[in-house]
Amino acid sequence: MIAQLLHDASRRQRRATWVAILLAMLAAVAGVGLLAVSGWFLTGAAIAGASGIAAARGFNYLLPSAGIRAFAVIRTLGRYGERLFSHRAAFFALADVRPALFARLAAAEPGMVFSRPSGEVAAQLGSDVDALEDAVVRRVTLPGALAGAATGLVAGILAGPWSAVALLVGLAAMRLASRGLSARLVTAHVQRRADAMTRLKAGYAEYAACGAEIAVYRLVPRIVDAMAADVDDLEAARLAIVRHEAVVQGAQMVLAAFTVAAVLALANGGAPLAAAAALAGAAAAEAWSGLVRTDMQRPRVDDAMERLEDMASLQPRPPHHDDIVRLAAEPVSFSSGEREVVLEPAGRLLIGGPSGAGKSRLLGTLLGLREDAPQRIHVGTIEVRELGLESLRRLFASAPQDAALIAGTVADNLRLARPGVTDAEIWDALETACLAETVRALPQGLDQWLGGDGARLSGGQRKRLSLARALLAGRPWLVLDEPSEGLDSATERQLAANLSAWLDRTGTGLILVSHREGLRGLAASTFAL
Amino acid sequence: MPVLLAGIVFSGVLRAATQGMAGIAGQREAIGVKRAMRTRLIGALLPTGPVRGKLVGEDLHVAIDDVEAYEGLVARFGPLKLAAVLSPLLIAFVVGFASWVSALIMIVTLLPFGVGMAFAGLAGKAEAERQLLALSRLSGLFVDRVATLPVVLAFGAEDRVTRQIGEAAREVAERTMQVLRIAFLSSAVLEFFAALSVALVAVYCGFSLLGLLPFPAPEALTLGRAFFALALAPEFYLGMRRMAAAYHDKQQGEAAEASVTEALKQAGARPGPSAMPMMPVRSLAAEHLEVTYADGNRIGPFRAEWQGPGLHALTGATGAGKSSLLHALIGMAPALSGVVKLNGEEVAPASLAGMIGWAGQRPLLLPGTLGENLLLGAGDEGADVLSLLDACGLSDLVGQRGLDLVIDPRGSGLSGGERRRIGLVRAIASGRPILLLDEPTADLDGETARRVGDLLEAVARDRLVIAATHDPALVSRCASVVGL
Repeated sequence: MIAQLLHDASRRQRRATWVAILLAMLAAVAGVGLLAVSGWFLTGAAIAGASGIAAARGFNYLLPSAGIRAFAVIRTLGRYGERLFSHRAAFFALADVRPALFARLAAAEPGMVFSRPSGEVAAQLGSDVDALEDAVVRRVTLPGALAGAATGLVAGILAGPWSAVALLVGLAAMRLASRGLSARLVTAHVQRRADAMTRLKAGYAEYAACGAEIAVYRLVPRIVDAMAADVDDLEAARLAIVRHEAVVQGAQMVLAAFTVAAVLALANGGAPLAAAAALAGAAAAEAWSGLVRTDMQRPRVDDAMERLEDMASLQPRPPHHDDIVRLAAEPVSFSSGEREVVLEPAGRLLIGGPSGAGKSRLLGTLLGLREDAPQRIHVGTIEVRELGLESLRRLFASAPQDAALIAGTVADNLRLARPGVTDAEIWDALETACLAETVRALPQGLDQWLGGDGARLSGGQRKRLSLARALLAGRPWLVLDEPSEGLDSATERQLAANLSAWLDRTGTGLILVSHREGLRGLAASTFAL
Repeated sequence: MPVLLAGIVFSGVLRAATQGMAGIAGQREAIGVKRAMRTRLIGALLPTGPVRGKLVGEDLHVAIDDVEAYEGLVARFGPLKLAAVLSPLLIAFVVGFASWVSALIMIVTLLPFGVGMAFAGLAGKAEAERQLLALSRLSGLFVDRVATLPVVLAFGAEDRVTRQIGEAAREVAERTMQVLRIAFLSSAVLEFFAALSVALVAVYCGFSLLGLLPFPAPEALTLGRAFFALALAPEFYLGMRRMAAAYHDKQQGEAAEASVTEALKQAGARPGPSAMPMMPVRSLAAEHLEVTYADGNRIGPFRAEWQGPGLHALTGATGAGKSSLLHALIGMAPALSGVVKLNGEEVAPASLAGMIGWAGQRPLLLPGTLGENLLLGAGDEGADVLSLLDACGLSDLVGQRGLDLVIDPRGSGLSGGERRRIGLVRAIASGRPILLLDEPTADLDGETARRVGDLLEAVARDRLVIAATHDPALVSRCASVVGL
């Protein structure tokens, strides 16, 4: 699946990829040609010069010296263009892979989504997708290296078949050494490093949310300790990678030196051609050794692919129920053992019970975000676990206990409720939630940036912003978990009155969890846990 | 001929060995530098995140990704930079023995090259910094949108959020390309002069050997000398080409360094908590305490005085700044003005940290057991957490799963109320003389809230306890009520 995503994204960049391939081949040919012609020209000139004035005058120097200049320019421009286009193709392809992956994640069953630590998922969308860069650039590297090697072989053949054979054998040996050593030495450490990195990030994201406690109890050393194992692992793996890369690359250099020496030793057909073949061999080996990077990146790419595969192959949720309109007009019933409470459309229910009785779990199950409530909940005759998130989120609008807000402006948070929310609707919802005055007082009003998890608002303000968002969603049922927690009692009374009027006006039903007297009056019946 | 062949092989082996060792030495150096940098960042950023108004993801990017990005500057670019300066001089010097004109040609091509590189370098720096900023925003966006996915899913807003992520990702790609365009341009300049110097040396040597130079031959050249000069000509620029290949390392590293320095500066603007000797607390007071946010929003000024020991409430309309005041008392607020007094004497708020037991809205959980987590604030491990757990209605939790219960740091398996009470027990068990509690009875049912109230009253017999609360039952137990 991730291979398919990457393929689709790369297809959109295929023009840039083809241009890059063409330029890479051109640059490689020119690079080998430059050295071959230089060697031939120099040696030929020396022999002609030594044979006397007549021979020197007869030596055609115009063509080779023009060739040298042309190759120099082509190589330079080719390399520049190749890099530009290949990276362009890679980065824009990956920029499309990220949202595609996020969409896959967001379309999966909630249980599959929430079992993943958010820091880990963020690292996958970030650095794991980055690691795929090489898989895209690789498409360009190989044709370039092949073109360089082929040019070197042509120069080799001119100096006799044995030189060409020596070059071919040498290049083959370089490939074998690179692939064999890279796979054997580097793979495990790359995996280890990536794992350590993921753990490190997940840990940091978790601790970062508790700044005050860390400051007060001076927990920084404890946290540095808690992270130390992952840090050590990360650095040890990194050093091992560098060490083994040195071995892999060193092997290439040694083999290249042997190859050039063999090409020179086996050359016949005259000194100028021998010089050309040897220098061309050196240039070809250099272009060829560019493939080493690909070999060394391969485990990193494979590893990232594997982890992303896990996300990319998530199955989408089943679609919503055929007839949401009918479901909206059905009663909602809660039952536990013998007890059952039936709530007619536009009815109002309080869910009661001591702390830890599982109220949030019940609401989570009602909303389709989890499945672990022991009670049974039906919409009409269908159990909510059968309906699933796709249907339930069209029926219930929730303001959860944690009042989670996205990093963004006040308006960003409210517009999350549904597409096409107007400003008038927003102010109306804020008035109902007793938050309009607060928002008006913010320096940028609706466009006030809130920071991570609504960091600029107090707990009670966040609750009411979350409530306003649920009001805007326009669903047949409103599900509120402790909406007035953190409110003073005057505001709470006002909120209760506003909510009651809003529910009547819109014909919306209410399912409420609250410990506070001020709001419990809203509900007509109670379901106790 | 055999000498030539042996020389080719020998030089290959020598180059492989020295390059490999240089890489390993550079990496070792970098590991030490990274470790120190990371520890400093964790110490500076974790306790001050909310004060600086940063997303967790942004801080995470600085503390982890930027440190990794900095590695290349130390491990790879640093050694290559020195090699890039020395190796052309060395090559020119050696070539000079064979053909001083060839050496001169190489050195002359250096001048225009230097101008081109300097130009590209200047333009590249600003772009690299902009790219790093966009990258850190993208990382922040990923963390935030994944963390808030339950809400996004509940409202069916995933299409819009996906589009937003796509736009941000494409912006980063665009910025990255701008950085690379400059980096590639400077390598192109470099390659051009490298190729030019090879071509000029080849043409000069060729014409010199032919005896067809359009000027009197400045030196007598043989094939051996000419070939020696030509073979070394590409090496003249090789050091610089390798440095240019590591140019991305340099840009990334410098931009990462700038971002790390900026983060440390922001975090360091808060005065470091100097250890204050533990003393009995008779009173704590805040005068004209005012918090100003970066956008000019202001909370305060606050005025309050609390007598210790005793239980005190901090009430007020939502948004009046109860949490802000609690944070301000320990210096955890941006741009703080006003005075905090302990026992009548002015103190730096941050220096109070060591005397404070803190229980916030969302307590910290570290990997480990429940017992370890409860004792995070305790200097000694003698605190009787079992009776404290019992007193706030958590004995069921312990009974079921024991003090050795392994805590999942994500807190799954614990309800909001349970997690809150773990923070409360931790604060009490810390033995600190002042307790600052943010809504200690929120998320609790009436019976549990009453037991927590009893416990707080008992604790307040010998400590100063200040609770921000809306709970009228808790307020009625308090010796004083400060309304904001």
